[in-house]
Amino acid sequence: MVGCLAPGLALAVGGPANAADEKVTFTVALRNEVDSFNPFLGILVPSFEAWALTYDYMIGYDNADMEPTKTGLATDWEPSEDGLTWTFDIRDGVKWSDGEDLTAADIAYTYSRIIDGGPEASTWGSYLTEVESATAPDAQTVVLELKKPNASLPLLPIPIVPEHIWKNVSEKAVKTYTAEPKNGKPVVGSGPFRLVEGTAGGSTYRFEANPDYWKGAPHIDEVVFRVYKADDPAAQALIKGEVDFVENLPAVQIAALKDKPGITALNGASPGFEEIAFNTGAVDTETGKPMGDGKPALKDPAFRHALGYAIDYDAILDRVYQGAGEVGQTIIPPAYQDFHWAPSGDDAFSYDPERAGQMLDDAGYTKGDDGLRTMPNGDPIGTIRLYARSESPTSLDTMNFFKEWLVDLGIKAEVKAYEDNNLTSIILEGNYDAFAWGWFVEPDPGSMLSYMTCGQLGGWSDSWYCDKEYDAMYAQQATEMDREARAEIVKKMQQKLYEDSPYLVTMYDVIGEAFRSDKFACLQPQPEPDGVLIMQYGVSSYLSIRPAEDAGDCDGLTSGTEATAGGSSEGLSTGAMIGIGVAAGVVVVGGAVVAMRRRRTVGDRE
Amino acid sequence: MALTAPDPTAVAAVAGGEDRRRRSGYARYAGAKIAGSLGSLAFMLVVGFFLFRVLPGDPARTMGRGRLSSPEQLEEFNKLYGLNQPLGQQFVTFIKNTLQGDLGYSLLYHRDVSGILAERMWPTLLLVGSSTVLAAVIGVWMGIRAAWRKGGPFDRFSTGSSLTLYSMPEWWLGLVLIAVFAVGMGPLPGLFPTGSLHSPDVDPSSLEGVLDTLWHLVLPVVTLTLAYLADFALIMRGSLLDEIGSDYLTTAKAKGLRDVDVRNRHAVPNALLPTATVVALSFGFIVGGAITVETIFSIPGLGLLTYEALQVPDYWLLQGVYLVSSAGVIFANLLANLAYAWLDPRVRT
Repeated sequence: MVGCLAPGLALAVGGPANAADEKVTFTVALRNEVDSFNPFLGILVPSFEAWALTYDYMIGYDNADMEPTKTGLATDWEPSEDGLTWTFDIRDGVKWSDGEDLTAADIAYTYSRIIDGGPEASTWGSYLTEVESATAPDAQTVVLELKKPNASLPLLPIPIVPEHIWKNVSEKAVKTYTAEPKNGKPVVGSGPFRLVEGTAGGSTYRFEANPDYWKGAPHIDEVVFRVYKADDPAAQALIKGEVDFVENLPAVQIAALKDKPGITALNGASPGFEEIAFNTGAVDTETGKPMGDGKPALKDPAFRHALGYAIDYDAILDRVYQGAGEVGQTIIPPAYQDFHWAPSGDDAFSYDPERAGQMLDDAGYTKGDDGLRTMPNGDPIGTIRLYARSESPTSLDTMNFFKEWLVDLGIKAEVKAYEDNNLTSIILEGNYDAFAWGWFVEPDPGSMLSYMTCGQLGGWSDSWYCDKEYDAMYAQQATEMDREARAEIVKKMQQKLYEDSPYLVTMYDVIGEAFRSDKFACLQPQPEPDGVLIMQYGVSSYLSIRPAEDAGDCDGLTSGTEATAGGSSEGLSTGAMIGIGVAAGVVVVGGAVVAMRRRRTVGDRE
Repeated sequence: MALTAPDPTAVAAVAGGEDRRRRSGYARYAGAKIAGSLGSLAFMLVVGFFLFRVLPGDPARTMGRGRLSSPEQLEEFNKLYGLNQPLGQQFVTFIKNTLQGDLGYSLLYHRDVSGILAERMWPTLLLVGSSTVLAAVIGVWMGIRAAWRKGGPFDRFSTGSSLTLYSMPEWWLGLVLIAVFAVGMGPLPGLFPTGSLHSPDVDPSSLEGVLDTLWHLVLPVVTLTLAYLADFALIMRGSLLDEIGSDYLTTAKAKGLRDVDVRNRHAVPNALLPTATVVALSFGFIVGGAITVETIFSIPGLGLLTYEALQVPDYWLLQGVYLVSSAGVIFANLLANLAYAWLDPRVRT
């Protein structure tokens, strides 16, 4: 065994060092697999990153405010007066990696596949709502015809696939089409990289730079994704230099990595939030009759809103999330400046138990002789059940704090953790009072806002919130073509939700990221200036990243990350040292104790 | 290890029967055992289907959270994967397809289940297989030495340390090994990689690739071997201790045989039978994978696959994994039965 391992060591130790002289490889530790390289099938986040490397999009995003920009395949666009016809001008001279021209026809083809229904529609249909047809009257023009105006246009985060390849993949065959390299031939795309090795569900994916990319060749030769399922080994691999970037690390790991030389660790702002959601009144969607066993008190908006003042948001941020994140307010995160609404001054929730108590008193939920609050008619409120997700320790901690604050107010509460799948069915049956979960929010607020409409009851609605006024505003904003006018409605909707409080938004999310800043520089945050560095909309980081020694001023890119002095990977964290010490101790002591016991019994017997 | 060992209550067979009759007796016994195994497999197939369907969870909701945002998209997803069909119809399709060798389509990876299983099988076989072999060989050796000098320094050391390792959580042992031998500590350089099965730029089928894979497997295999060691060492030690007082060993010693020969030629063969059962059954469980070690070392094996499939739940993938691992256990059990009967004629009736 040793004999055959020795040459392996020599080879493997020598191998990568030699290769590094030849090409620059940026290795990323992903935390989950790519579930499909076929853009019409995949659902997990790493798949979106893989498509973004491989394909182009018609519309780009502004890194500062996430507005649509002309950095994609479209150089300009224009909706008709009635909003029923959109005309896009398409860039000339873009080529597929096999040399064919990318034209408006490819774009129209991609969208048409989705409009025609089937698996493609399952993944992307919501972006092309109301779109009846996508055509390409000439090579530089795409025209979308709509039944009704659609305010989310022109944002279309759909990867554009080559018609000359995909026309051979029938609607039935899409389901099993992998879009992976075959017989050593890379996948045909137009993006800055192309997949040369890797398969869905695999543990390593290798992308090669496209030297002819129309925005200019990337400054690195390869991107390699490697899947690390556990936090600690991923962090160790970064320290050792086996990977250059680790995404999605918990705040504790980020804090530990911050002091390491040559490593930059940060908690990047990410457009998502955490909330405490209430059962505002579950109903059977067929009959409209009440369903489940939610507490009646929570059906009252005044009761829910009062609880907003019973939460110490700073304590949750500091003690549950170790300070990583931002105190939350409404369901559209501040990253989307245009659409975000925040309560001002006195209206804003702050930890004020007296005010919460006063509001409950005013609404009729006064304290009885036993110190417990009762319903306005004198009935007991009952024990509010707070459900946490067993997959998420932070949701459990949040609910444990919330329970204490409720008890202080004179409301009985208990905390229980459920596995995600279980909790989902409990929510759909309406058998809950409150739970803690979160959402990721897309640049277009439409889908997030829709989860709070009556139409989503029994669908994605998890608070059973249903309000006619809110629904009317939802319908109005969906067809409002003027971005500013739409933003006004969207803000009013957030205000309505804030007042009715089906959700109490506790936190805006961050994602822990760490990378070797002694090796690489010029990654771009999204949103600027403190957003995440990869797993963004678009691939700006992969286009601007370069080896630290060639960083310069990142070609004038002001938001790019800076190179730092390197440090040879040295010793272990104290925690690991202690761990190892304890391990060695346990083995020795364990061995000794058993040995002594044996000796004693042997001695007794003989 | 809930499966039964070969039937120990066998009645003594008629001794001295003619050779032909003995052989036909074996064939009948083997036939019955094989038929029994096929029956168990069929039973497992049915159980596998309903077991995973009663799990809470809706694949469209788990996978589509934040993605399939409209009710129409959810519906389309369910239609696409046949999840909207009645359970009975799904069951009939499942049985029909499985008999034709089609294990279905994975919701999670959008590919055929058999392809995924084939890909995930060999990392698990390499990891758990070689750990089981190593643990069995080293464990048996330790058990023999420990029992033969019961209460001696080696016995005390090996029993103590293997029990301690046995009680240690595998993930923790793995993390400690990574910290010491992969990242390096003090003067010790990081000799081994922190995870995965092979380097990204190496062709796994080349000689270099094979060596590279071996190099990557060192730490995970060591972790699992250490964890499994006690199983074999303690059983071997126990069964050899049972033999040590026997008269035939005294006779062997009286004949003037060397101590080593008494041990290896007389005592060990008789003590090996229970260990052989444990080894055979352990091989059956190899295909089940080792979830924790696969997770810590990022090895894409069947254990990790099962865990991921359960979260969706990815019914067809789970059925596939379940079928493969129960087939592994049933097959290993069958082999143990057949081997036992071959070794010990009393078992055959």
